[in-house]
Amino acid sequence: MSAKTLRHLIVAGLLVLWELLPRTGLIPELFLPSLSSTLLAGWNEAAEYGHALAVTLYEVAVSMAFACGGGILLGAIVGSLPRPRLLIMPMVSSLYAVPLVILYPVFTVWLGIGSESKIAFASIYGFLPTMLATAAGIQTIDPQLLLAARSMGATLSQRLVRVIIPAAIPTVLSGLRIGGALVIVGVVVSEMLISSAGIGYLISRYRTILDSPHVFAGVLLVLFMAIAFNTAIRWIERKAAIWQTGTRAGQSAADEVGSGAMQPAT
Amino acid sequence: MQPLANVTPLKPPPRAGAIEVRNVGQVFRTKSQDVVALEDVSLDIKPGRFVVLVGPSGCGKSTLLMMMAGLRAQTSGTITVNGAPIPQPDPNRVGVVFQEASLFPWLTAEDNVEFPLALRGVAKAERRAKAQDALKLVGLEGFGKRHPHELSGGMKQRVSIARGLVQDPPVLLMDEPFAALDEQTRMTMGDELLRIWAATGKTVVFVTHSLTEAVYLADEVIVMSPRPGRIVDQLQVNLPRPRTYEMLSGDAFGALRDRIWRHIRKSA
Repeated sequence: MSAKTLRHLIVAGLLVLWELLPRTGLIPELFLPSLSSTLLAGWNEAAEYGHALAVTLYEVAVSMAFACGGGILLGAIVGSLPRPRLLIMPMVSSLYAVPLVILYPVFTVWLGIGSESKIAFASIYGFLPTMLATAAGIQTIDPQLLLAARSMGATLSQRLVRVIIPAAIPTVLSGLRIGGALVIVGVVVSEMLISSAGIGYLISRYRTILDSPHVFAGVLLVLFMAIAFNTAIRWIERKAAIWQTGTRAGQSAADEVGSGAMQPAT
Repeated sequence: MQPLANVTPLKPPPRAGAIEVRNVGQVFRTKSQDVVALEDVSLDIKPGRFVVLVGPSGCGKSTLLMMMAGLRAQTSGTITVNGAPIPQPDPNRVGVVFQEASLFPWLTAEDNVEFPLALRGVAKAERRAKAQDALKLVGLEGFGKRHPHELSGGMKQRVSIARGLVQDPPVLLMDEPFAALDEQTRMTMGDELLRIWAATGKTVVFVTHSLTEAVYLADEVIVMSPRPGRIVDQLQVNLPRPRTYEMLSGDAFGALRDRIWRHIRKSA
């Protein structure tokens, strides 16, 4: 049996357990409602969940644009110019250790409890790993490659487009993977804390009235969102980074980012 | 073009591939002190010659090569290639081959070879045709679609050579191109390089640490010594071409290698 079918079997087994354990009464329905009652709860309130999902997806999309765009831009500057690196990097690294969620109440004061405060929080949350990975990706480019390009008469802009960007892509992508995941976390968590719409808000509201099936329906939606994001990133990685296997520099930088060495405090 | 194996082209175009180095000096300024990397180096390389630079680490042989490539400016003196100074890289006059790490890992072998042409905006069809010719010359016909990580060390170095030759420059500069290869591959690549050199009639300047490789390949060996970097000897290697493995154990070969070694031992 291949590892893949085994993995599918494990997932299927977990789903069966999810249905059976509450039904047989081994776990009270309040703690874990059965799969079928969760799905039914979600189906009955489909309009409400659909609206919440739209709000959350909108916040995630805008935050991701800010986090990834800003992270790549500033990471490229910091990675290629030593002076901004000296000024900014120590600050960013210490900021990384701060649980940024403490800033969220401040954002709600500034921006209200609508989408703006979630977007601001999630953008900053996802921005840091993206920026750090981009900076690392550009710093770890083999100087021999740039020298070779120069020996063939490449101008500065040609070196940027034809050498620096393709060489940095694998590391940047692994930063996007973490940054994007954190954007989802940031949006959902901030919705759960203080808000009036979104999946996080629904989860939190149904929890206060102890309606477990509706809570778990929301959890399932967040789960699907995260899986969809991960699948998309994997697809891009496969498309963009087929050469990654061949380079130790790119590989080790990617490992460093991916292994959680750069995980922030939540 | 000259298909014969052992001589410079009979009638090279005037000065094509000649390199003249006149009183070149290079000083690196660091915070604490100035380091003299090269001091008053003069050198005349005739078109079509195979010249090897040897010397211990820090003797400035790679620095000198980078200057000939236009990749680094000298502090004093002049360098001309084909009769004109070379203030910046000019792939039409000089092709450069580095250690194997310098292939772009995200490009296929043929895209790597086409790279200098693509920079110049050469049309796709012409680029492809020239890259195929260059790959054929280095014995890699049919490997164009592979990525560098799918090629062996020796094959990667062949791709690098093809990339250096694709614009047909009169001069090929090689900075320890076989240093990362194992002994057997290194020997084979030496023979391959001599074959390519004979087939194209290029001027080759080759930097190496290996004394055996230096004598085996060269028409002329330039021995350098460090602190400050300067030329301490110039040996003509008059062994017949094509060079063969048997020559390695001959007296003439040994005498030349010993002479280089005595210089290097003194300066190291």
